[in-house]
Amino acid sequence: MLERFIQAISVADPGAEEPAATRERLKDKFPRGATRRMTQLGMLVGAALDELAPRSDDAVVYASSYAESRALEAYLESFPTASPTMFQTSIHPSAVQQAMIGRQHPVREFFPLTGRAHLVAQAMQAAMLSPAPRVLVCGGEERGTWLLAQGYASARSFAFALALTSGPGEAIGKIALARSADQPAALPLETFFAALAARQPLDLVAAPGMRLNLAWL
Amino acid sequence: MPSLAAVRLEAAGCVTGLGDADTTLGALRRGERALQSRPVLGADGGEPVPLALVAGRSLDETAPPNWLRVLKTMLTQIPADAWGSAARPVFVTSSNFGVGSLYAYRRHGDAAHLPFGTPAGCVDWLAGQLGWGPNVTTVSHACVSAHLGLLLASRTLEHRVADRALVFSFDFISPFVTGGFHALKILNAGFPAPYADRPAGSIGLGDGAAFAVLSRDRGDFVIEGQSVFNEMHHFTANRADGTGFAACLAPTREAAAGRKLWLKGHGTGTLEAGKLESAALGAVFPAAPLVSWKGSIGHTLGSCGLVELAIAAAAIRAGNAPGTVGGAAPSFVPQVALEPFSTAGFDAVLCASNAFGGAHAAFLLSHA
Repeated sequence: MLERFIQAISVADPGAEEPAATRERLKDKFPRGATRRMTQLGMLVGAALDELAPRSDDAVVYASSYAESRALEAYLESFPTASPTMFQTSIHPSAVQQAMIGRQHPVREFFPLTGRAHLVAQAMQAAMLSPAPRVLVCGGEERGTWLLAQGYASARSFAFALALTSGPGEAIGKIALARSADQPAALPLETFFAALAARQPLDLVAAPGMRLNLAWL
Repeated sequence: MPSLAAVRLEAAGCVTGLGDADTTLGALRRGERALQSRPVLGADGGEPVPLALVAGRSLDETAPPNWLRVLKTMLTQIPADAWGSAARPVFVTSSNFGVGSLYAYRRHGDAAHLPFGTPAGCVDWLAGQLGWGPNVTTVSHACVSAHLGLLLASRTLEHRVADRALVFSFDFISPFVTGGFHALKILNAGFPAPYADRPAGSIGLGDGAAFAVLSRDRGDFVIEGQSVFNEMHHFTANRADGTGFAACLAPTREAAAGRKLWLKGHGTGTLEAGKLESAALGAVFPAAPLVSWKGSIGHTLGSCGLVELAIAAAAIRAGNAPGTVGGAAPSFVPQVALEPFSTAGFDAVLCASNAFGGAHAAFLLSHA
């Protein structure tokens, strides 16, 4: 069984807030002027990570099903004069990079994952297999516009970040992955976010061969 | 905290604009270029830029995507197993997945393109097409994506979470990505000349797909000294002092101690990154010949680490490695090998890749 202790948690739930409002609300959390080019997801993930005070020896695991939906939409709309800024911002790991580049914060290991039904368990497995002393697991989505209308973007913006360690320390929770032969169920990222926000436990087979148990201490 | 775990490479293969791994190796040794001058936006036109497409494939996306047949053909090279089951995980890595389908939808309004457009939707569809079970982890970190898939797969083996792992990587170029690189002003009519000291840099883009089957104890190659580092300095530039390259290479230097190496660099053809990379590799491994193959097959983006692993393995088996196709003297550093050379007398090859955000990755490949 793989097991890690949750030392700190941060969640960001902006509700129906538009990106401009998020920018105004969070601008003081980032270096001056940095939010002008940040996406809503970048600001939310960045603010959540910031609460955990990233360190250079942390590993970072990032989970998002849709990632930079707004930048992707804007980039596609920019053709035939493609926008270089929207192109580079639309790449999957961009949210974390926006925040970490803004702070000039190098990390050795950074695993950006995507997926759907089993993404949460896969991100936790990536975190638990890392030899780093502390692993920050973050994730989130941003509400799309025309991609959402077609069913290919998140309907909700949110972000979270967890600090995981091998030792208990002053842990507030524990997360474990145990082997299981049972049929896996879906654990969408948004469901996991809701459990974190409400400090609710989880216990389910969340990916093939992996029973995920989230407990609060 | 790098992982220095060693895993065995049981099987590897790839597809490029030149063909499969052995065909690509032969063409590279003859100095052939897959890159051809094509309109940057395909049927929508635009400036000519160097692109290397798989034979018979159009840059313009279809529904379902026209690269599916390429992946199905490559699938026949992968040893049969219960891929996607609990003990046989699949790690899919890509930078672009089927995002060209979103460009096609936006351009033509045909909703038939949409299901392939998001990474998760694309991989779920692909898993069904290729007959995999649901244990598929998807990694997307631009042009070091394949390296991360190898590292994650290695760790599942090391921790006995898996018995055998399939790393599968693909990036087929589309107007979405060619338009983006063209907007960054590095995809121009000048063909790439990796590590060549010249007035202007350029890169070419290519289709690429590859696989690697990893296990703990089977296979005639070993992958070890896997290392990653993320500068987080700038989206499209590296630290000018080269410390990001050096930080990534430090653990591989330990793993390579006492061995004679040759180097397969990232070498896209950009000037600044090429200078930094060749200087860093030259400083750590001063006697090792350095090559890049992107001057022929183009930059295959998220798949490049795995595509070039398959070519490197084929080169070691054949006893002869291609030189830097498209390169020309004077090079940034004297160790750049412009011509093919014998791999006899070398103990291992170091394979390195870089990506947006100052991401770096490297590993050593050697005979078991």
